[in-house]
Amino acid sequence: MPSPSDQELIGRWKGEPAPLLPLLHAFHDRDGWLTDEALAAVAAGLRIPIADLYGTVTFYHHFSRQPPGKAAPRVCTGNVCGLNGGRELLAALEGDGATPMPCAGRCDDMVPVIVGDRALVGTSAESLVHRATPLPAPNPGGREECVFAGIREPGRATLAGYRKSGGYAALEKAVGGMSPSGVVEVLTASKLAGRGGAGFPTGVKWKAVAEAAGDPKCIVCNADEGEPGCFKDRALMDHDPFAVIEGMTLAAYARGARVGLIYLRYEYPETVGILEGAIGEARAAGMLGGDILGSGMRFDLHVRRGAGAYICGEEGSLLNSLEGKHPFPRNKPPYPVTHGFNNKPTVVNNVETLASVPPIVARGADWYRDLGEGEHAGTKVICLSGDIRRPGNYEVPIGIPLRTLLDEWAGGPGEGRSIQAVTMAGLSGGFLAGEDLEVTLDEPCIRAKGSFLGAGGIIVFDDRRDMVRAAHDAMEFFAHESCGKCFPCRIGTQRITERLNGGTGALSLDAWLAEIADIGETMKATSACGLGLAAPLVTDSLVRYFPEQVAAHVENAAAGPA
Amino acid sequence: MTGLREQRPADRVLEMTLDGEPVKFTEGETIYEVAERHRKDVPTLCYDPRLEAFGACRLCVVEVEGVRNPVASCTTPATDGMIVKTRTAILEKHRKTLLELVVSENRNVEVDELSGYASQELTELVDRYEARTGRFAGKQSGTTNDADRNPFILRDYDNCISCYRCVRVCAEQEGDYAISVMNRGFATQITAEFGRDLRDSQCTFCGQCVQTCPTGALGDKKALRDAETPGEVRKTRSICPYCGVGCSVDLLTKGEKLVGVLPAMDGPANEGALCVKGQYAFDFVQNADRLGKPLIRRDDGELHECEWDEALDFAANGFKEAIAKHGRRSVYGVASGRAPHEAAYTMQKFIRAGCGTNYIDNCSRA
Repeated sequence: MPSPSDQELIGRWKGEPAPLLPLLHAFHDRDGWLTDEALAAVAAGLRIPIADLYGTVTFYHHFSRQPPGKAAPRVCTGNVCGLNGGRELLAALEGDGATPMPCAGRCDDMVPVIVGDRALVGTSAESLVHRATPLPAPNPGGREECVFAGIREPGRATLAGYRKSGGYAALEKAVGGMSPSGVVEVLTASKLAGRGGAGFPTGVKWKAVAEAAGDPKCIVCNADEGEPGCFKDRALMDHDPFAVIEGMTLAAYARGARVGLIYLRYEYPETVGILEGAIGEARAAGMLGGDILGSGMRFDLHVRRGAGAYICGEEGSLLNSLEGKHPFPRNKPPYPVTHGFNNKPTVVNNVETLASVPPIVARGADWYRDLGEGEHAGTKVICLSGDIRRPGNYEVPIGIPLRTLLDEWAGGPGEGRSIQAVTMAGLSGGFLAGEDLEVTLDEPCIRAKGSFLGAGGIIVFDDRRDMVRAAHDAMEFFAHESCGKCFPCRIGTQRITERLNGGTGALSLDAWLAEIADIGETMKATSACGLGLAAPLVTDSLVRYFPEQVAAHVENAAAGPA
Repeated sequence: MTGLREQRPADRVLEMTLDGEPVKFTEGETIYEVAERHRKDVPTLCYDPRLEAFGACRLCVVEVEGVRNPVASCTTPATDGMIVKTRTAILEKHRKTLLELVVSENRNVEVDELSGYASQELTELVDRYEARTGRFAGKQSGTTNDADRNPFILRDYDNCISCYRCVRVCAEQEGDYAISVMNRGFATQITAEFGRDLRDSQCTFCGQCVQTCPTGALGDKKALRDAETPGEVRKTRSICPYCGVGCSVDLLTKGEKLVGVLPAMDGPANEGALCVKGQYAFDFVQNADRLGKPLIRRDDGELHECEWDEALDFAANGFKEAIAKHGRRSVYGVASGRAPHEAAYTMQKFIRAGCGTNYIDNCSRA
């Protein structure tokens, strides 16, 4: 088959919603990298100023601008893989033009390597194989689940298998006999809150969009699971894609939306096909499109693939990215519920949040609320990784003790080891250690310790680990992913990284601590988005729990390079 | 960026508390705009009143009662009943820390004032907050592009603080979109398309980016020729001598020498804008080749100085002779684009009524 011409590619995407990313990917796929000529053609085709397009393309680290381009392996050297063979694997593949990438969301089955559109895993160049995303193990505590309740059913990723195991019962119930506001009321009563990390009450968000003026309203599924140590959305999309689609369709029903976009991170190449296949099946069966379930409801879905930028998981950046703009976060207000995609009312919801919706609508708000421990409502998927016997995704009742998850469900640390620290919210919540490991897994308890549960990533560090090094790797990630818009984050993440890698020379311990504290305080107070607001929790908790390791590090740095 | 300014019905009068005083404002105003009206002197580096508020430098953060973190006053709309503090010990400490961070990544805080209109903003703030403490030392960002071969705009990104005022003024005010932001985080860099020189880009050399730059990273190469010329820089308000728009300019002189031009931000016709000619094409003013008297080419083939009466008579006779010999359509008038309306009118009157032809044009039409 001859490769498509520039004009054919532009013609294919020009009239579609959010055309820039898929068009750039189309050129990237065709040529292997983005040539100057390709950028000039895209700029002319979509009427984007060429300088803007050039600057924006350089923001995304998975768009290559020269050979070997897309064909070269990208090796995860993230915060878990980096400690478990990622760097060695990168060195082994250097001859193939391999380059490092931050956490690629496969921390339960290391080390991920992306070659073209294939996701491989392995710990040596010889052992790289293709393997499907691990399925969550049956709930070790025997607790009732919400989002994982059907995921292990055979054939769940096909429409027939999904329906056979209870899928689309919620949409039939809603379209058949519930008003849109009735669906919102169920969500509100269930106390479901944003599972991407921000924890905003889902029902409140939906109500705001339902009431906002403007058309067409839009549902955006945030599948840009970029937080290191998080891989739950990948499992949900790969093994239960129809749950996400049904959740989005219910959202559309509740809010009167006609357009749905799934913003999927680049690092999940095979998920693209799974989602697009499922969307096609749903469309063919009348579960998406112009007349859903014969009710006259119109709603359709499109997958848009990111290109390697953590900040695009921030909703303002995500919307700018979809619109083809430079992916800086947006100033708020106005909020996306009134001024979102293309300035229309938009809800941005995380994959797990949306996948929770069908069971809640089908089984009721009381059922979901009662899944929580004690006073707490519902469940949360925790992505557990690092120095733990059974890493993986666990759906826990909100409010169970962290120790129960670590020791009873996941088998505790390796033989003869003890747990030194864990991260919270992937990396964004910093570390918990010592007595603070006795927390329960709910926001009030974890926030009282100066951290937060967030998206639910927990990385375990056992007693072998250098915690200053762990903190450095975390801050280096934030510096790498800082968008460069607001001053405190752009300069602050860089300066803290430098202080954690020992490159600052002869600073006294007091001066080192004062600089770290002052940068952190100003970042936490003045940064423009969650990245800069949260990053200093890493150093706050490092200094709080590990003063001896910090003192030794500063002393070594002052003594000069070894 | 949605336009706060576009959605501004300026009719309802509302009230908020600003540093303990009740103040009135109209719907759509930002906290910063209200604070500016009340001379609170809130510091900024990424703000230019002509541009959409951007919220990058975070120096303008203020405390709002009931909101946990300080908010960027430039991007936050004032709301009825809001209680705002613009200067507290904590805010001032954050501002100092932010400025110390900026100083730590920048190579030169002192730049010559001839660099551009806003070039002293960083220096002044750093002095006001005594932020030259040497703290937060580390890598410096930005890579100079002073090899760019254009004759007008110095691109010394060693001194860039990534406020993106240049990028925004180019897009929002000039509509050229010649420059943009490449890379991200600490590696951010201002660039033209494909990293090219400005003269191979969409740039029209209007100099707007130079004049809004708060650090002198973008500098006026022509004015900076006289950085070492002795004497104080004096500003004299004038009108650009080129086209009929009448842009206000401040002429910069050292002693008797014209060294540069600044656009007047309060110029009613230009509001701070200029084009490449008004901004940079002033060398003719004091050029040795500039004509001081009329010249007539005599029978010897050489140009000779003369007085105005003789020159005008000579020209009038020339026209008369040409019309007598070749007819009225042998005359064709092209008025100068630098002429104001009145002069252009007189010119066409001269051609139409005086010479009897409609062969009249204006160079601005080309």
